[in-house]
Amino acid sequence: MLELAIGIILGGCALGAGAAMIAGIGPGIGEGNAVAKACEAIGRQPESKGAVTSTMLMGCAVAETTGLYALVIAILLIFVAPGRFVNILLNALK
Amino acid sequence: MAKVDAVVRRETGFVALWVVLLSLLMQAVFLVGGWWSLPVLWGNLLSGVAAVGNFFAMGLTVQKAVDKEEKHAASLMKLSQALRMLALFLAVLVGVLLPSVFNLITLLVPLFFPRIAVFLRPLFDKRQDQ
Repeated sequence: MLELAIGIILGGCALGAGAAMIAGIGPGIGEGNAVAKACEAIGRQPESKGAVTSTMLMGCAVAETTGLYALVIAILLIFVAPGRFVNILLNALK
Repeated sequence: MAKVDAVVRRETGFVALWVVLLSLLMQAVFLVGGWWSLPVLWGNLLSGVAAVGNFFAMGLTVQKAVDKEEKHAASLMKLSQALRMLALFLAVLVGVLLPSVFNLITLLVPLFFPRIAVFLRPLFDKRQDQ
């Protein structure tokens, strides 16, 4: 029974980490769209390349944060959460 | 190797400066709180370098992408984002697997410092005054 409970904890954490990393897809698509539109803008007004690149870099950094949140949550779920949850379970059974 | 654009250099410098300042602030908080140890410093160093490196790599990709065709630029950016995320994961993985060398909190928190730098960017943007 204990093995089953630990298995459920580990499985849940792994599934949670996988689900969290779905959020990592979004920034890639968003950054891709932003860069495509920037290319279009630079094509229309080549003299604004510096300003567009600078603004886009900042925008990409903001978009990237969503992926970083997902990465951090996934790492915590894989490496930290299972140990903590198993400890809680073992303490509850004592 | 292609020349690094002045915009990319300037923005990376700005982000790196803020990462250093916020890292110093975090080290000070750990020092004042009495939790400071060498792993705190190593974790911060690894994560800070990874965060600035990630931003610089993003800048290089953007620099390369703006000279390309729209569709090619979008796919290049997506590929770059996936690779940079993988590189960050590997960097953090090294830290997490060596808990005696790297502190987990100082390993994860500096990853968000570039975001704080971007948030503070409008305050220091000279172009707004023009």
